[in-house]
Amino acid sequence: MTDVVEAKDLSKWYGQVLGLNGFTASFGSGITGLVGPNGAGKSTLFKLLIGQLHSDKGELRLLGEDPWNNVGLKHRIGYCPEHNQLYGWMTATRFVETLLRLDGMPAADARAKAAAALELVGLTSAKDRPLRTYSRGMRQRAKLAQALAHEPEILILDEPLSGADPVGRVQILKTIAGFARDGGHVLMSTHVLYEIERITENIVLIHNGKGIASGNLHAIRALIDKHPHAVRIATPTPRDLAKALASMDHVVSLEVPEPDVLVVRTRQPDAFYRELPGIVADGRLDVRGLESPDDSLEAVFRYLVG
Amino acid sequence: MSISLPTYQRREAPLLGRSQRVRAIITTGLSRELRRPAALFTTAIGVLFTTATSMVLLFLAPILIPGQPIDLSFFYVTASNFTILLFVTLMASVIGSGLIADDRDSMALTLYLSRPITGADYLIAKASVLTPLVALVSVLPLVLVPFVAFLLGLFPAEVALPAMGVGFAAGALLTAFYVSLSLSLSSMTRRKSYAAAGVFAVTFGLTIPAGVLASALNSPELLYLSPWEDFLAVARGVYGVSGGLIDWPGALAILLGATVLASLLAYLRMKAVEVVSG
Repeated sequence: MTDVVEAKDLSKWYGQVLGLNGFTASFGSGITGLVGPNGAGKSTLFKLLIGQLHSDKGELRLLGEDPWNNVGLKHRIGYCPEHNQLYGWMTATRFVETLLRLDGMPAADARAKAAAALELVGLTSAKDRPLRTYSRGMRQRAKLAQALAHEPEILILDEPLSGADPVGRVQILKTIAGFARDGGHVLMSTHVLYEIERITENIVLIHNGKGIASGNLHAIRALIDKHPHAVRIATPTPRDLAKALASMDHVVSLEVPEPDVLVVRTRQPDAFYRELPGIVADGRLDVRGLESPDDSLEAVFRYLVG
Repeated sequence: MSISLPTYQRREAPLLGRSQRVRAIITTGLSRELRRPAALFTTAIGVLFTTATSMVLLFLAPILIPGQPIDLSFFYVTASNFTILLFVTLMASVIGSGLIADDRDSMALTLYLSRPITGADYLIAKASVLTPLVALVSVLPLVLVPFVAFLLGLFPAEVALPAMGVGFAAGALLTAFYVSLSLSLSSMTRRKSYAAAGVFAVTFGLTIPAGVLASALNSPELLYLSPWEDFLAVARGVYGVSGGLIDWPGALAILLGATVLASLLAYLRMKAVEVVSG
């Protein structure tokens, strides 16, 4: 059986800048997570897959076909870009409808499909608001709706969780999982591994334009857990918080780089995020923000590429 | 016994053809332009000025050009109205230059081209958005003036009707040139200001130096470099006006050639365009 995506020695240059560098990988059916730091080449690979970039070298097949200038193949793809939207003045309904019309769908069908897709991503109540009034997470959901609405065979999602609020994340992940459960294929990129572990175990790691590892999530997680995961916590009382967190046996180090910041390094990020709210509540501590830079993933990449 | 995994079957629905898809882009493009104050203002002022000045010229021509015969050539006065050039250039700059450049800059092009449309479909749709708007200042006055002259009884139908046809053809030529020029420039850049500057450069950067140099060097053939002079030469030809420093067939060939070349460049650009960032 042909894989959903087959890339062999794929390279793409932007002038002097290398987008992909001999990328070789095969993605099977179901959900595959493409994980890599910003600038790793994820978006370049996706643009190649949807036929909007032309490779300088190598071969690429999506659903058994060459995607470049392949108009027919586009009926089978649902693409959700990371950054853009169509026009801010458009309502979500019109946004999805317009893109369905570009698929050749009659107006009445487009209207019905748009409403169904927006309901699926939880935007029914906001469907008649202009996209410029949406939060980033809501825009992500609107883009997911347009990607799903024409019932494609494969969803290509570029950082779909980027900027999404917790409720939005749950909704997006639920929608993606449902699509895959119905037999659709999903290729989803992220620079935060923990974001996709809830919905797939198939991971491809990409770094500096190269596919450096692929396979089961748990194997990769074991690798990552060797490298402490950093969490930057904004708090007016970093020393009190540090004292409370020191009791966690998976915490490797605690650092106060600024008067109102505590940086924690942990070997078990899942456990840390699970236990943190309880510790904060018990100690009546004031935590104003959490940030998880992807340097732990960077550490794994540095380890893997030697 | 073998077990096979379920495979996703896409529900096939009857899909509409290419023209319907192009129409969806046109509708969206027109809706966008009709929401932009700059586009609305330029269009409104352009229609007002070009039509009003053309009407004024109609009534003043017998005074300004004594002995002007009451025939087809009379309407050359309207075609040579400088405000037409001014507003066609403005419309092409304010509206046309952003049609593709803005989509590339905002990455809306990514979403358009993620759908089963070709670069040519997209280009045709964008041209279809711009053409009627530019035609409001390039075609409308040339058709409206003979029509009004006929209604007022200033010209017989045998003159007014051909004048409307000739005006439509001449205006269409100017429209086609500026639409293809602005879309071609717009497809080359993400910054519409660059494309707009290009439209102005082609219009006035060629027209003014060509006029000055042709006069200074006594080389009227330099006027072929100016799109406006080419248009005036063609207008003289079709309205049957004698005189002029350059011949209309050569001018027509240059305008048509430039239009085809600009369209071809835009087409090739859209065919090869790679949506890089984002």
